[in-house]
Amino acid sequence: MNEIRCASGVDLLMDYLEGVLSADVYAAVEAHVAGCPRCIAFIASYRETPRIMREATSVGLAAGQQASLLSFLRAQRGFSADDN
Amino acid sequence: MVVPATETNDETLAARAAAGDAAAFELIVTRYQGRVYRLACRLTGSEADAMDALQDTFLQVYRHLASFRGESRFGTWLYRIATNAALMHNRVRARQRAESLDAFLPGFDAAGVHLGTPAELQSAASVEEIVDRRLLAEKAMAAIERLPETNRVAFVLRDLEEMSTSDVAEVLGIEPAAVRQRVHRARLMLRGYLSDLARVKP
Repeated sequence: MNEIRCASGVDLLMDYLEGVLSADVYAAVEAHVAGCPRCIAFIASYRETPRIMREATSVGLAAGQQASLLSFLRAQRGFSADDN
Repeated sequence: MVVPATETNDETLAARAAAGDAAAFELIVTRYQGRVYRLACRLTGSEADAMDALQDTFLQVYRHLASFRGESRFGTWLYRIATNAALMHNRVRARQRAESLDAFLPGFDAAGVHLGTPAELQSAASVEEIVDRRLLAEKAMAAIERLPETNRVAFVLRDLEEMSTSDVAEVLGIEPAAVRQRVHRARLMLRGYLSDLARVKP
């Protein structure tokens, strides 16, 4: 295969990290990254992106919202767990 | 020995609920409500829409329990319903969505080399040290909303809900390779967006 550049390495990055590339392509990407400080830096930020986004958008359901969901569902179903 | 209801697996609870056991249904609700709400918030970008989607999800789960055949895991089946419910509520506002994040995709010179220094290329990883937590939460939610829908859904399920690529493929009814392609593009846009955010002190 052709020599890997930063651009073609980025195209393959998720497949590279998920381990679904063929052995020769994987080795070619790895060889490029090992000698490329820009790709090392890029990959570090690419890998952190999901965690940062996950933690920044983590929301919880308040007790009041849980209660209102249950009331809604009981009203829709016309019975409650207590009827059993 | 009777297995306590709280330890019963989803499929058994679903069978009991389908047979009319209200307590089993409510245990399913308790088990999944937080995850469905969080998923819906991330997909719609709105707490009000997420509450509507949450109600719709469990109403549909209840109505369709009898058709759950156990061909997929219960969680996968429920996530499919929840994703569709969130997208239904989101369509109403989709037309008002702001400009795309294409400008944040990585740039390269004519030789295919990254534009920017290593420090600049890594800056997204330090965004939490630079941007206030509350502002970052707002910006992150707004950025997810700006992703094209196909990328947004795949990214939210795979990276934010931390499902496996194959489970996301099953929920969306697409090939794992297509999931990776959609998630990858979302990650690239969001990485660039976070880099941009890290450069500007609020």
